[in-house]
Amino acid sequence: MSEPSSPTARRPGEVMFCLLLAVFSVTAFWQSFAISGFRGLSEPGVFPMLASATMLVSSLLILKDVLSKPASPDAGFERFRQEVVPLRLVGVIMLILAYVVAMPLLGFVAGSAGFLFLSFWYLWRKGPLVSAVLTAVSLAVIYFIFRQVFQVVLPQGSLMQGLF
Amino acid sequence: MEVLGHLAISWLDPWLLFLTAAGTLAGIYVGAIPGLSVTMATSILISFTFKWQVNEALALIAGVFVGGVYGGSRTAILLNIPGAPSAIATALEGYPMAKRGEAGEAIGLTTVMSVFGGFVGIVALALFAPLISSFAIMFNSRDYLLLGMIGILLVGTLSGESFAKGAFAGALGVLIGMVGLDPMTAEGRFTFGSITLMGGIPYVAAMIGFFGVAEALSQLNNLDLPVIKQKIDRIIPKFSDVKRYFRLALRASGIGTIIGALPGTGGDIAALLAYDDARRTTKNPDVPFGEGCKEGLVAPEVANNAAVGGSFVPMLTLGIPGDAVTAVIIGALFIHGLKPGPLLLVETPHLFWFTVGNLALANIFLLIFGLTGIRVFTKIVECPKAILISLIIVLSAVGTYAIQNNPSHVYWMLGFGVAGYFLKTYGFQVGPIILGVILGPMMDANYRRAMIGARGDVGTFLWDFVSHPISLVLSVAFALMLLSQTPLWRPIIAQLRRGR
Repeated sequence: MSEPSSPTARRPGEVMFCLLLAVFSVTAFWQSFAISGFRGLSEPGVFPMLASATMLVSSLLILKDVLSKPASPDAGFERFRQEVVPLRLVGVIMLILAYVVAMPLLGFVAGSAGFLFLSFWYLWRKGPLVSAVLTAVSLAVIYFIFRQVFQVVLPQGSLMQGLF
Repeated sequence: MEVLGHLAISWLDPWLLFLTAAGTLAGIYVGAIPGLSVTMATSILISFTFKWQVNEALALIAGVFVGGVYGGSRTAILLNIPGAPSAIATALEGYPMAKRGEAGEAIGLTTVMSVFGGFVGIVALALFAPLISSFAIMFNSRDYLLLGMIGILLVGTLSGESFAKGAFAGALGVLIGMVGLDPMTAEGRFTFGSITLMGGIPYVAAMIGFFGVAEALSQLNNLDLPVIKQKIDRIIPKFSDVKRYFRLALRASGIGTIIGALPGTGGDIAALLAYDDARRTTKNPDVPFGEGCKEGLVAPEVANNAAVGGSFVPMLTLGIPGDAVTAVIIGALFIHGLKPGPLLLVETPHLFWFTVGNLALANIFLLIFGLTGIRVFTKIVECPKAILISLIIVLSAVGTYAIQNNPSHVYWMLGFGVAGYFLKTYGFQVGPIILGVILGPMMDANYRRAMIGARGDVGTFLWDFVSHPISLVLSVAFALMLLSQTPLWRPIIAQLRRGR
């Protein structure tokens, strides 16, 4: 297949990512085969096998295309860390993970207040007071629109039952 | 009379009227703010509206869709940053006009012309969808399988860096859609003995993860870009301008409607094709193209709004989404127990005519909101990305959680969000994944029905694809699309041209 408009330079970490995709595709094909094997052509595992085979072929074509591109002279882990997984991204993912874990315990209001305050402070860097005011205003608006106007049932949290 | 009654539902019900207006207004801002996309907003909205009446949910979503497609032009003109891919061509002409102090005029002209294009698309939807639907009743299993494959192939081909990346993304979506108990035999597929996985992966979590969280994470890289400010004056366009560009607008509407109706295309491609058409057919523009030419501003804006009505045609008649937003709307229809496809117009004609009437109403609100509130608008689009990203994440998490109060869905959302970030970073589009998730189960069921119909014989199965007229046409279309992605395509085209 042709790869007409690919960028000329290899992105940092691109080869590793494509390899991971190929490995994932092989695993998916093996798991698809495990569903019903080759018992028949209308068995539940056939379509997953077709889909994972498509993934495998395409991932190999993508890998071939990536390997044909010249590697950047300053390519390395440091560039990958700066461009693909910057500290800010890792920080935000950790914050989201903490938020997702805390929400069933703290509920929407307390969980979101904590997340919004920390993420405003971390990403906007305007100080704790501005972040706190902004958190209160945003949360009030979201709560009013979704709970009062749209009647959405927001998570209450096992530790905060009956508070909001 | 009955049709008129259905058409007027959202016009006469104050709550639906309000929801359509609110959706359109919100859509304009969502479309205008770079980093927020209509697809993202629609997928988040579905999670909040799934307990509503279907008319209420559709009124809000249709408003956001119509407003969002238009909204992208605002920041394209004012800041040279297209709010959406469908406004890329608009930026080429709109921003030079803004630099000359004609930003208000450019916004006014695009508003009126967008509304015109929108209405042409809606008229086409009303006229052609019933015809296509009555024809599509003749489709059988293998035709639906082919339509699904064509849809994913088109989205994969047209939207990403390469065909292989599009094919990978589409197949990955199909695989995600397969997780759970097989509906025909109740055998587990990729369940690993987990009861949670037996119910399948919630596609709303996939949608919000891939479109909402992944986009928010990608926007972290643009956090430090400076905010550009613009001054606005007169906004109501001159009547002479509207009259002068009427013929061009009519042609661009035709392009937009047809392109929008092709599965997997949508407003982005419609706008670029209409821009290209305007550039080729405008003999003596007042200002050269690329320097603030009004023809180049009008054509893409008319086309991308006409594509909205067009994109509803395959979705409502064949169950095949015209673009990423309609793929998400199909998800909304499924959640409300409806099955988009040829029988939708037979079983629930009121829903079809309601959609037509509601899209028309959203266009009226587009005209009102498009020509007013511009000063407030300029303030809101200056909102720092750090605030927007945090709010998107909160809405995404709560929206996913609210569907079944199930924390595992939020973990899925986060997982898809992180995976989507890496896929986007390495040039994969997430649109084909969502299309695969939604169309995968339908394609699987139709493949197996066709195979059972052929009694498991591969020869008969393949022969069926070329021995029935509709299947033959679709098979040839699919084969040509596949062939066009191989190195063989160019020599064949060159040979054909020489032969002519």
